[in-house]
Amino acid sequence: MKRILVIEDNPMVIKSLEFKLTKDGHEVLIAKDGREAMKFLKEANFDLILTDLMLPFVTGKELISYIKKNSPKTPIIVLSTSTQENIIMDAFNMGVDDFITKPFSPNELSLRVKRFLNKA
Amino acid sequence: MKNPNASLQAGPTILLVESNITEKENFAHIALQQGWQLVICNSGIDAIHWFNKTNKADILVIEENSTPLNGYQTADYIKTELGLMLPVLITVGTVPTPQELRVITYAEGVIKKPFIKSTSVLQINEILKRLPEKSPAQTDCYSLNYLRDIFDGHEESVFESLKLFSTSVNTELEQLNIELQDKDFNRIREIAHSIKPSFEMLENETGRSICHLLNSEAEETKMPGLIHDLQLEFASIKKQLTRDFPDLKIGG
Repeated sequence: MKRILVIEDNPMVIKSLEFKLTKDGHEVLIAKDGREAMKFLKEANFDLILTDLMLPFVTGKELISYIKKNSPKTPIIVLSTSTQENIIMDAFNMGVDDFITKPFSPNELSLRVKRFLNKA
Repeated sequence: MKNPNASLQAGPTILLVESNITEKENFAHIALQQGWQLVICNSGIDAIHWFNKTNKADILVIEENSTPLNGYQTADYIKTELGLMLPVLITVGTVPTPQELRVITYAEGVIKKPFIKSTSVLQINEILKRLPEKSPAQTDCYSLNYLRDIFDGHEESVFESLKLFSTSVNTELEQLNIELQDKDFNRIREIAHSIKPSFEMLENETGRSICHLLNSEAEETKMPGLIHDLQLEFASIKKQLTRDFPDLKIGG
């Protein structure tokens, strides 16, 4: 079973991600803000990270920077909104692997997650 | 079939087609007392033009002998040609013109003139009461299609998401008011960013657009108005959810 960290503050998005990823057979941990995410990242290893960029306390950029420094092989998928083109480009420049627009298509999410987990 | 019902929040809109000045005044007086929004047209054709232009009313009250289209013909045209699921009440004199049964079914009822408050109000309120059940417009504020898709038709999860929508967005909207008082516009943009997917997941375009504006190009001076509009939209969705799913106790 692959372990996925979801870093997201919208409870509806969290619930839908948790439902879909668990149904696909993955272990899912949820961090509702950047601080909680940092705690998880320091305590455990993950096969994949799904993260929003605009987070309370610790920004998505800071998180990505931390992950790239401490766990460079862990793939990162950014959960974005359609209005964040510049921010997404910055995230790609920092080394994120992919992005999914919220609200996501269930099948698209499954396929993208599967692709990165198979690589890991 | 489209539904023109769009005004129950501010009091129902009644479109009246009446040629007699005294009866117009009678009806206007009743409408004022009841808090109905009244639109008066001189003929069925005018009513059709009005619907074509605005597409909004809750009931059409039209005299049977309206010309050139009579009340029943107008009702038929509005329902079949314009595709509006609009209740129609036909107003008649003391001796109604005999109609074929087929024609009578074009309307939801008949009101006798002269308009008398007690009977007219009762009949119109009866029709208004039935609107939420027969009107597909009740789901205009939101759609469950996306949630049903993402949760694979698992209804319990869909309903839990609706509760989450109600509680979490409510909290964030309260926070928006606080940030507005503090003039913390960056925080307002962050909150709008955060709740935008919630409106998107219910396929509510108004909420999504307002959040988008707040999170992107809205000037600071425009933010109070946008936040106010967002709150109104949220209240509409919540009202609709409460009506559609009373057991969820979303109203709170």
